[in-house]
Amino acid sequence: MKKIKTACIIDDDPIFIYGTKRLMAEVDFCETVLVFQNGQDAIDGLHKITESGEKLPCVIFLDLNMPVMNGWEFLEDFVKIPNHNREKVLIYIISSSVDPRDLERIKNYEVVNNYILKPISKEDLESALENIF
Amino acid sequence: METVSINFLIKDSPTAVAILDLDMCFISHSEIWQRQLAPDSGSLIGKSYYNILPNTPEALRKIYCDCLKGASNSNKGRKFIAANGAITWLSWKINSWKDDNGKIKGLITTLEDITETKRREELLIKAQKVARIGAWEVDLFSDRVYWTQITKEIHEVPLNYVPSLEAGLNFYKKGEHRDNITRLVSDAIRDGTPWDTELIIITAKENELWVRAKGEVEIVDGRPVRIYGTFQDIDEKKKTELNFLKATERLAIATKAANVGIWDMDITTKKLVWDDNMYHLYGIDKKDFESEYQAWRAGLHPDDRTHVYQDIELALSGKKGFDTEFRIIWPNGKKRHIKAMAVVQRDADGNPIKMTGTNWDITDLKTVQGKLQKSEESFEAAFESSNIGMALVGLDGKWIKVNQSLCNSLGYSEADLMQTTFQELTHTDDLDKDLRLFTEVIEGKRQSYQIEKRYHHKNGHIVYVILAVTAVRKINGKLSHFISQIMDISARINAEKKLNRLVDITTEQNDSLLNFAHIVSHNLRSHSSNLSMLSGFLSTEENESEQKNLVNMLRDASESLNETVLHLNEVVQVKVDALDKMKRVNLYSTIMCVEKNLGLLLEEKNAVCHVDIDKNLEIRGISAYLDSIFLNLFTNSIKYSSPERTPVITIVSAQIEDKTVLTFSDNGLGIDLKRHGDKLFGMYKTFHRNKDAKGIGLFITKNQIEAMNGSIEVESTVDVGTTFKLYFDSGCP
Repeated sequence: MKKIKTACIIDDDPIFIYGTKRLMAEVDFCETVLVFQNGQDAIDGLHKITESGEKLPCVIFLDLNMPVMNGWEFLEDFVKIPNHNREKVLIYIISSSVDPRDLERIKNYEVVNNYILKPISKEDLESALENIF
Repeated sequence: METVSINFLIKDSPTAVAILDLDMCFISHSEIWQRQLAPDSGSLIGKSYYNILPNTPEALRKIYCDCLKGASNSNKGRKFIAANGAITWLSWKINSWKDDNGKIKGLITTLEDITETKRREELLIKAQKVARIGAWEVDLFSDRVYWTQITKEIHEVPLNYVPSLEAGLNFYKKGEHRDNITRLVSDAIRDGTPWDTELIIITAKENELWVRAKGEVEIVDGRPVRIYGTFQDIDEKKKTELNFLKATERLAIATKAANVGIWDMDITTKKLVWDDNMYHLYGIDKKDFESEYQAWRAGLHPDDRTHVYQDIELALSGKKGFDTEFRIIWPNGKKRHIKAMAVVQRDADGNPIKMTGTNWDITDLKTVQGKLQKSEESFEAAFESSNIGMALVGLDGKWIKVNQSLCNSLGYSEADLMQTTFQELTHTDDLDKDLRLFTEVIEGKRQSYQIEKRYHHKNGHIVYVILAVTAVRKINGKLSHFISQIMDISARINAEKKLNRLVDITTEQNDSLLNFAHIVSHNLRSHSSNLSMLSGFLSTEENESEQKNLVNMLRDASESLNETVLHLNEVVQVKVDALDKMKRVNLYSTIMCVEKNLGLLLEEKNAVCHVDIDKNLEIRGISAYLDSIFLNLFTNSIKYSSPERTPVITIVSAQIEDKTVLTFSDNGLGIDLKRHGDKLFGMYKTFHRNKDAKGIGLFITKNQIEAMNGSIEVESTVDVGTTFKLYFDSGCP
């Protein structure tokens, strides 16, 4: 199975980040993992990447509930990033929320590919890979 | 000579005759002549005619002159008017007499003064004219009919009209009138019965006329030879009579229809006369009673006798007109109310001789009056004792009458309330609506209206009412006043308000409960998912140091879980039974106490606090919550203070209606409310890159304030500061 180049995790929970990274290694998900603690950090980081002329990560795993800038706000700002491969980026929302209002809200964001309920599993990552290739 | 014999003949002539010579001197005359024309003149023979009769009219002298020349002249009656206006009627016949040679020797004249006869004739004609009496005559042998001028005038036929018996009868109006006259005339001709009747004729000019026709028959040798009679125009009289009859009849009908009885009492004989209606009114059969006076006295209700007799006495003595009411009892036991009025007639000395009056039945009126009175009484009773506020209001809005309920509702005594108008007491916002409808009723566009409105109680608080206004009109349809019914629904409205507030709270609590459920599930799930993930790794991990790392992480995760559970529990506690624990709390000392506890923290940041509230200000709340709230607000202000300025915290208070408003301002970092406003008071919402931020403080603060029936608002400008406004129930209820 092919491996993707860069995956991005945006979450303020260190345990989740640890676990996701570990699972990614197990399924040989990607070459590099980019981690941001909240939406604002992520937007700033992704802007930097664009400015340096590099490609955006292929996959973003986005948490919803974060300080400073939450997942929703990130989505609003993300679509404004002027990077030519932005539209190819797959965004997975990963949250522990089972609030139906959140699930309903996700449908309004075309940019979002899918919703993964925490805890993330190997299978989630594998099916994501299948989607990409 | 012949003269002697002629003289002798002439002398005894039954007419006034005289023989004159050429010189108009008397040769001879009859005795009648002297008696009639010149009774006091002695012997006339040889004397001049004109000397004896100096008043001979000029016209007659001229005739004498002509006759002396051979003419002859006669006249059956001519009227002469003398210079002094005296009227003389003369009738004459004048011829000349001749000698043997045929020569005129003188005149033979008969002369008669017919003034008296003529005057009578003239008077008769005049009288006939004035009385419109004509005469007629039918000669039964020749069938010749004669009508006098008046008769013709009455028939409106020309004077040359030639009547016949048949034509005469045909002037009578066809039908009853013509049949009558024909029968009367036939009977008269047959057996000589005279007639005298009043009938209608249709004149030649088609006018209808009442006439009185009288006729008699002249019988000769047992056979009728002539019928004659008079014919009088009685149209005016007859019509007047008929009109009078009609009027009398109408009066009778009217009095009967109106059930008005008429009576008449001779005071001296005590003889009472009733018309038919009276018997009807007293329920008495006319045949059964001989004395109306007895009947009347017997019918009087015993309780009313005294005052009726008194009224009669007063009327007779002239002290008071007779106008009274009494009850009567019919022979069958029925009671009726009678109204009686009368006038007293007096003789020249002023003594009463007769009393004439009316009676009519006013039982129905009395019944209606009784009912009306009852309904007025019951309205009065209802008005006074009603639990609903009631008022009679004038067209100008002034109270005419108010009941106790209304006074109670509005807090005024009756006397004080009467000094006001409804406009003065009406809540300003409701006045237009009320006045508009009020005006519509006055303008007749509507009969009544009902609105929900507010009054000001004397104490100043608002009284909620349902007002129903009904217009009362006079008999002529004009507005008289209004009946206002004012149902005090303050209790209901207040209960409703309370209920609405409860519903709001319940809805809010429901929402927050649902939110809370999601918060709980989310926050617990985030930990549990970590735990399950970590324990999954641990079960397959063989590297020992990595195992240790995982166990450490497991511990952190479970601690976080524990912390979250504690937070949630705290929130749950806030929501349980908070209202029951509410007490009066001094706000100033609470704030000062929190400030003191945070002394070290404030000092460390050189923070300045301005607390500008009344030292005695009390609110209704829960002491522990207030401590927690102010602790949180102070801590937030310090935590998110701007590193570029000295933190300044200002606390002031104000009173808005029944709420105490506390304003808590700082000059810190501020929050972008456009971005975060909806999440500010959410759980686990943090907005600053602050390590201590947990996103639980304001969430709990909001829950605590709401649990105390209060609310919290926020205003903030990034890098200028944040102001929280806290609304609490005031200390005094």
